[in-house]
Amino acid sequence: MANPILELENLKVYFNVGGGFLKKKDVVKAVDGISLKIYPGETFGLVGESGCGKSTTGRAIVKINQPTEGKILVNGEDITIIKGANLKKFKQDVQMIFQDPYASLNPRMTVGEIIKEPMDIHGIYKTNEEKEKRVRELLELVGLKPDHIRRYPHEFSGGQRQRIGIARTLALNPKFIVCDEPISALDVSIQAQVINLLEKIQAEMGISYLFIAHDLSMVKHISDRIGVMYLGNLVEVGDSDELYNNPLHPYTKALLSSVPIPDPRVAKSRERIVLQGELPSPINPPSGCVFRTRCPKAMEKCSQCKPELKKVKDRMVACFLYDGDKE
Amino acid sequence: MAMLDIKHLSTVFSTENGTVQAVRDVTLQVEKGEILGIVGESGSGKSQTMYSVMGLLASNGRVAEGDISIDGRDISPKNYSKKEYDKIMSDIRGNEMAMIFQDPMTFLNPVLTIEDQLIEPILNHNDISKKEASERAIELMRKVGIPSPEQRIKQYPFQFSGGMRQRIIIAMALACNPKVIIADEPTTALDVTIQAQVLDLIANLKDEIDSSIIMITHDLGVVASICDRIAIMYGGKIVEIGTADEIFYEPKHPYTKGLLSCISNPEEKEKKELHPIPGSPPDLLNIGNWCPFVDRCENAMKVCKMSMPDEQEFSKTHYCSCWLTHPLAKEGADE
Repeated sequence: MANPILELENLKVYFNVGGGFLKKKDVVKAVDGISLKIYPGETFGLVGESGCGKSTTGRAIVKINQPTEGKILVNGEDITIIKGANLKKFKQDVQMIFQDPYASLNPRMTVGEIIKEPMDIHGIYKTNEEKEKRVRELLELVGLKPDHIRRYPHEFSGGQRQRIGIARTLALNPKFIVCDEPISALDVSIQAQVINLLEKIQAEMGISYLFIAHDLSMVKHISDRIGVMYLGNLVEVGDSDELYNNPLHPYTKALLSSVPIPDPRVAKSRERIVLQGELPSPINPPSGCVFRTRCPKAMEKCSQCKPELKKVKDRMVACFLYDGDKE
Repeated sequence: MAMLDIKHLSTVFSTENGTVQAVRDVTLQVEKGEILGIVGESGSGKSQTMYSVMGLLASNGRVAEGDISIDGRDISPKNYSKKEYDKIMSDIRGNEMAMIFQDPMTFLNPVLTIEDQLIEPILNHNDISKKEASERAIELMRKVGIPSPEQRIKQYPFQFSGGMRQRIIIAMALACNPKVIIADEPTTALDVTIQAQVLDLIANLKDEIDSSIIMITHDLGVVASICDRIAIMYGGKIVEIGTADEIFYEPKHPYTKGLLSCISNPEEKEKKELHPIPGSPPDLLNIGNWCPFVDRCENAMKVCKMSMPDEQEFSKTHYCSCWLTHPLAKEGADE
């Protein structure tokens, strides 16, 4: 298999919260040691409840959040210590699409200026004519009209704004895009438009995506492989169909059975595993396996030591239930 | 007789740019003890229809036309003076009709305890002492699945998580055994596992309390699991209404079909291509008196932009407003 375009090695991102005079600071372990690989041309879906650290992982990859520990390798190079010209090159290669198309575009810049800005910073086109030509191409690629170039973001609907955001990410011909919940702020009929656009771009330009979302049905649709996160830990990683049809980790099982199915007969007949309780605080995560407080199959061992992500059959699972059937 | 009866309701908002026709000629009956889902995109008028019924429209909005009655009692704004209407509605709101709002974070008052907030509707509508009201509030909290309610009732909203706050809001809605509960996107702000808990709670409560529930949502997955009937709204109108099975398995309106084909069903083994509906929803500021979906419809005909289609009956429960299913248009569509 080809070399991975992105590799996370034991990535940890901690935040300090609270604290003050004579008061100790608390540490939020947003991402607590995850390792994964993403290959060229692949879409990797990252799912989990809010607060599980999926967005923090994405933000660490584009260097918005500085990792506390661990390595992030892009094309084999550790970007946590990258500097100078290499940093600039990295920023061309890795881009991000944000969740909220209303907040991520500057209302005082025209669409043309927004898409042109990264080109100006990185100086990849010499003349203004070249830049403008490229902007028009990009607008067409994302399904907008080239003469929208002089308009302002407020003149567009949510779905169209998300397209502008996508055009901006594509301006530097990136190799890897972090999509942080790109569709959750959009209406159902518009979501499918954006998903199809992302798939089309991938087919044409061979970009890899890290697709972060909580909408499992859309993640399953777009992803080749899926990673499930819980409280800063990856609990299961596998091929998207396999993982969906035969989830192994108890959390994955519960998460999948909570997804509302748009089919009344299936929805009424299937058995749901409804998890009790809520996500524990990442300030004081449970000892051992972080899921044990809500796990229907928790054993004594689960509170004593933390399960490692191990290969079980065709995928990686972090759970003691599968200790017996290792290969 | 229907528990909630809405006939030819139209609601307009006056804005700087003109009049927005948010709800256009909506007729809807909700029977006793059923769960009705209203599905639509943002701006389709689904929430404003229910705000009109509750008398909770923003100050620039008004009900232009239509009759509304709950359990036989007329509550149409046009039949009363403003003062009379306000008096009637403050008696009805919380008592006969209650609402569950979308955002559990902003709905509760952060400086009052849960007890203060939960007994308020009980004291307002019943002639009982504060102590009895508290007991009833604790009973309600137990009913919606909040552990150790005796202690937790003294706490403040910030001490509860999102899912627990949504349970408190549900408890508040149940406080006076309302005849109709309107839930406006009750699970949109919650995580899937918590959403499953809340949906289970609503489905179980329905058996217990025999209120009618109206569920406003944009998520077809949510309505599929708990609703008996579903109304699809688009451009301020109900374009199709039917039982859950009729809507999902025999959709008639092109918009309903479009909605169903642009969502991904994770249960399907093979990956199907998503077919998004092209374009975007209509602007309700300048909308003509013809089919609102015409600009996004693949099978639009000339007549679609000339006049509004009539409602056709497919079964006793299934109605659809579209020219394509009209008997006169049938021959043309078959070709």
